[in-house]
Amino acid sequence: MSVADTLADRYDAELQSHGVGLRDEFLEAARELESMLTPEDFEVWAERGAALASQSLRSWEAAVEFFRASPEVSRLIPFDLLVRWSESAERLSTESPLVAAAYLRATPAVVQALPADPDFDIGIQGENITQQTIIRTDLDSWAQAGERLHQGNWKSIALTVLFFDESPKIFSGLSMPQVDQLVDVLVVLAERSYQLATTCLEASGALFEELDFHDREPFLQFAAALSRSSWADTRLYFERGPELVSRIEREQRGAFLQLAARVVQSAGRQGFPHFLETASAMGDVPVNEHETMMRLAQYLARRSPVAAMAFLRSVPFVLTRITSEQLEQWVEPGARLLFDEGNIEGAEAYFKMQSTRAEGTLASLSARVELGSIHGLLRMYAKALTGSTISIRSTEELVDRGIGWVQQSMATTEGTSIFLPPFVGSFPEQPSNFQSYKVFTTHQTGRIEFGSFHYQWGVDGVYAPASVAERLPDAPQRERDAITDMERFFDLFEVRDLIASLFTVVEDTRVDAAVSREYRGITPWLHRLQSIEAERRPDARSMSLRSAFVESMLRSSLGRRDAIRWPKDLMEAMGTALGALAVVEEPNATVQDSAEVAGALYDIAVSMPNIRNPYNDEDWEEPPSDFGEQAQMPGGMGQSERELPEDSEEQEFEVPAQPEFRGDFKPELVQLLSRLRDQASGEAGEGETLSSDQVMDALSKSSEVGFPDASEGDMAASMGQFLSNLEKEAAAAAKAKQQRDQNGEESDGEGGGDEGGSSDKGPEITWTYYDEWDFRASDYRPRWCRVGERTGEEGTLDYYQDTLQKHHGLVVETRRQFELMRPETFRRIKRLEDGEEIDLDRAIEFIVDKRAGVGPLAQVYWRRNKVDRDVAVAFLMDMSASTDEEVEKPRSGDRTDGSFQGDPRNYFQWLAERRAKQISEAPKRIIDLEKESLVLIAEALEAIGDSYGIYGFSGYGRDNVEFHVIKDLAEQFGDQVRKRIDKVQPVRSTRMGPAIRHTIAKMEKYDAKAKILILVSDGRPQDHGYGRDRTEKEYAVHDTHQALLEAKRVGITPFLITVDKEGHDYLKDMCSDVGYEVVDDIEQLPRRLTSLYRVLSAE
Amino acid sequence: MAVEDFRLTSEPYYLPITDEIELFETAYANNVPVLLKGPTGCGKTRFVEYMSWRLHNHLGDKATEGVPLITVACHEDLTASDLVGRYLLEGEETRWIDGPITRAVKTGAICYLDEIVEARKDTTVLIHPLTDYRRLLPIDKRGELLEAAPGFLLVLSYNPGYQSALKDLKHSTRQRFIAIEFKYPPREQEAQIIQVESGCSTDMAEELAKLAEKVRNLREHGLAEGVSTRLLVYAGKLIANGISPRRACQVAVVWGLTDDVEVQQSIEEVVTSIFPE
Repeated sequence: MSVADTLADRYDAELQSHGVGLRDEFLEAARELESMLTPEDFEVWAERGAALASQSLRSWEAAVEFFRASPEVSRLIPFDLLVRWSESAERLSTESPLVAAAYLRATPAVVQALPADPDFDIGIQGENITQQTIIRTDLDSWAQAGERLHQGNWKSIALTVLFFDESPKIFSGLSMPQVDQLVDVLVVLAERSYQLATTCLEASGALFEELDFHDREPFLQFAAALSRSSWADTRLYFERGPELVSRIEREQRGAFLQLAARVVQSAGRQGFPHFLETASAMGDVPVNEHETMMRLAQYLARRSPVAAMAFLRSVPFVLTRITSEQLEQWVEPGARLLFDEGNIEGAEAYFKMQSTRAEGTLASLSARVELGSIHGLLRMYAKALTGSTISIRSTEELVDRGIGWVQQSMATTEGTSIFLPPFVGSFPEQPSNFQSYKVFTTHQTGRIEFGSFHYQWGVDGVYAPASVAERLPDAPQRERDAITDMERFFDLFEVRDLIASLFTVVEDTRVDAAVSREYRGITPWLHRLQSIEAERRPDARSMSLRSAFVESMLRSSLGRRDAIRWPKDLMEAMGTALGALAVVEEPNATVQDSAEVAGALYDIAVSMPNIRNPYNDEDWEEPPSDFGEQAQMPGGMGQSERELPEDSEEQEFEVPAQPEFRGDFKPELVQLLSRLRDQASGEAGEGETLSSDQVMDALSKSSEVGFPDASEGDMAASMGQFLSNLEKEAAAAAKAKQQRDQNGEESDGEGGGDEGGSSDKGPEITWTYYDEWDFRASDYRPRWCRVGERTGEEGTLDYYQDTLQKHHGLVVETRRQFELMRPETFRRIKRLEDGEEIDLDRAIEFIVDKRAGVGPLAQVYWRRNKVDRDVAVAFLMDMSASTDEEVEKPRSGDRTDGSFQGDPRNYFQWLAERRAKQISEAPKRIIDLEKESLVLIAEALEAIGDSYGIYGFSGYGRDNVEFHVIKDLAEQFGDQVRKRIDKVQPVRSTRMGPAIRHTIAKMEKYDAKAKILILVSDGRPQDHGYGRDRTEKEYAVHDTHQALLEAKRVGITPFLITVDKEGHDYLKDMCSDVGYEVVDDIEQLPRRLTSLYRVLSAE
Repeated sequence: MAVEDFRLTSEPYYLPITDEIELFETAYANNVPVLLKGPTGCGKTRFVEYMSWRLHNHLGDKATEGVPLITVACHEDLTASDLVGRYLLEGEETRWIDGPITRAVKTGAICYLDEIVEARKDTTVLIHPLTDYRRLLPIDKRGELLEAAPGFLLVLSYNPGYQSALKDLKHSTRQRFIAIEFKYPPREQEAQIIQVESGCSTDMAEELAKLAEKVRNLREHGLAEGVSTRLLVYAGKLIANGISPRRACQVAVVWGLTDDVEVQQSIEEVVTSIFPE
């Protein structure tokens, strides 16, 4: 019998009592250990096992694990440690045998995973003293860490068990102190939610393995900070954190996480979203920039970690404008705010890119030129060059319209607008980028100025007589007659793509030549861009022959005949072609010449088969330099077939890409569009109107129509869509034209910063953007609010009439008073040396003085001086929801809630009375009073003849400020306006600032000597996001104040009338140096408003 | 100053654009007052000067009966007595001084009221009796009624695009004149004028005329008035004397035209497009 059996027998009773299997487990372990331990140790071991087993009712479960793990463990650690280990297990077992079991079970794997720290990886396992000590302490701490998690309830037991189960994995990633930190986090989380702690723990194993060694510590630090200030986000952090962090440059991760931890501590709940955004923002920036970024961020973090994080978030955007070398320069003004001026809020706004200063600095540093900033300038430039009104738009807009243009980066025109890319940043310095824009624009205006879209069928060119008609007999049969001349021309040719691209090249050549001749100042830049484009051209040798031919023409048109490579065998044809192309470069060549030349080139092109390059590279040569110097149209239609290798396959013709500065050229579509426009505006005149089918037909064969994603099946559908877009486009243009005709030239549709665009539904809304004043940053937030101006809805006339009747007396009275104000047209000016009449009093005085020898001045005349009353006033009405409130009016019989004395009968009686009263006479609301005032004031102002506008505002949030036009300044007062007053009703919030700014913008455009803005409100400004949080009121007050000051600055007298009795507190701040009045008795509002107006306008 | 001093002694340069000379001569011969309409600096004043010289040389006896030209630049404070004349105090007495219009009426000169809309409307009424068949000028203060001497003609100039409706000409006034409308000359002729007046090269004059055409496209779109021929002549003079074309256009055309920065920039871009560095 072995020692093991002996021992087994000795403990048999104890082991048996805990379950059948326990003895077998013991025996198995004992047999293995027998040879490894000294007999004494062996005894001790058995004793410990038995003790563990008998410790409590269920401790046998721990014992099982003890026996199972022992052989393995004793192989890994010395016996004294094994004893300590068993002691730890016993301790755990007193709390929960399950936990102890998990501990014991995990031990072998954990010991093997220790030490995880590669810095401590010294020597061979098991032989090194240092390692032994590590294991010694760590095993203890490990058990203690488990104990910390264990809180006595079953949920915590599950968590602790999980912890031990996961431990091998965790230890392969973390050292013991780090595991301690992790446990700290888990403990905090477990206080809130065991579920959350469990999920995090489950994720931990894989997570830390994935993380870089150096990142683990900071990752945990951030986790610790997060668990304290925003525990709920921890799971998300464990899930997404590693991936996000991994995108940051290795060296910078630690610093970043530390910074994030600081922000989380100070920003609380907001901290984590910041972390997510910032980390992903950093991921968007190339890693080699991260060091600079972090250096700057840490510098900023000294004063404000929030600013530092905001900075990191803004970097990706900022770097689209400036180079990373300039980043520091951009940071500087913000840092100055932060450190020198101590304006932390300002600096934060700066780095969030919510301040005009930040944008200004960026713009001044940036080499990139934005279309938005030079849009007005280019519009006038284009207007000057072409003489017609041309709007400048971003190409983004054109693509959205779905009328056949799909290229976003290329400049183009559709005859009335020029579309330019939203920004140009191809050169490192701003002036060059601007020059690029100018060349873009000039080429497009060139198309308009030099008549690219005015091809007329059968008209002779200056150099080439119209001969295309001769092609008619050979032309392919088309089902329908062409709608436009351009279409008719293209219809003559078999391969539409080929003729279209040749015509494009030829016409662009002509336009560029004309531009160079007419605008010599811009020629150097035109050549520069041409040259750059020529360098970028694809290799002609990789194209099929006809494409290569078009490509060669294109290079020639870019002024780079030297860049042409062409097969020797076909050189003669090239000579003819270049000669023909040179024709359009002659002065005064017209689009008719271009068409003829394109036709001639087409003949040359089709004389060669469209096959892949059949020649060797060395057979391609630069054409002789004298080619194309002599402009000459080729004689006749030489159709000599050339001998070419036969084994090649005919290719589909592919259109070579257009040079960037020229952009798309779609003469056919433009002609069609202008035809449709004429039709829509009723100016079609010649010919019958076009049916949809006709247009569809023309479109489907045109090579110019592009669809965003044209899959064959969708073709018909997108065609239909396309057609309706086109028609809409034409109708809109026609409408705009009509409006222009009506209002003279005024409504260009593009005043100020308008970024027009109307939606199909509801009233037409024009959106305008305004800055908002952030008093903390003492800077404007650029383009912060979007104001949508719309014409007020029309109701019925009844309201207006009723009000007039109801207030008949008041109306008559105010009218009379206002009529008194009508200025005397002439006022006498006295004491003049010369004038119309002699002022008798003065004359006598003069004589007297003279006799007395005083030597007076002969100022004895008077004359009349005309004084014009020239006042414009805008009334801005608060239409916020709060105006829906009833006007409190002390009514007899009204009772407060307390007076019912708990008797429900009294209450119901009162309620019934009240309801009856309400039915007979609707309660008056603030808005009703505002409306009544409107009626009165309108009547009165009509008497006096001042120009006035009535507007209402409301809205919700900064991008939806509603601005209702009830009567525009220039609008005639009529039934329309009367009906609109009826429809004035409470809507939503009160964002006063943008509404005031919009009114200012309107008034600025209006010509008057005195301008007054009267704001009628029922309370303080308030809106979603109008302030730091919901309760903050200062921000809104300051912004409104600023807006009122802006009004003063441009010579408008602002005045505020409020019915808010509690208004005095904030009004003092909001209206310092601005007049205001609190109307105590709201019912007095109509009366007050009219009398106030008299005072104000008389000033 | 004697009225002879108002005669032009040398021929002013004037390039006829249409039939304006013929029209004016006929009007003069028939005592029909003339209203010259047209934008600033398009040559209205020069035309009157030229006509004065031309009539003087073609019609009158050179020594005595020439046609002097009396010009009055109108302004807001111009009163009737500024035009007609007034008593001045001289010691214990008063002395009557003829105003420009009285002088012209007496001597049979051309009286040219430049920018008549600038004058107050009540002042302009004064000229009414002079402009119809009566050809009379009442002088209230002296109780006189002057009849215009032969050869007297009233010529007004007026800039319709200028200012707002506030400064429009009264209908009762404008309907007493035939109106000759002036426009900026077409490109070729303007180039010729610029060349002659400024002494710059023909090429340069053509470029300047091209610039003018482009800039005038901006009228009503940021610019109240197009660039005047006068400014172009100034630019030409600067260029002829060695100032670089871009700079010359900047000071003479761009800055002279407008104070709006964006419009300035736009015009400057047009300038730099046309004139190479």
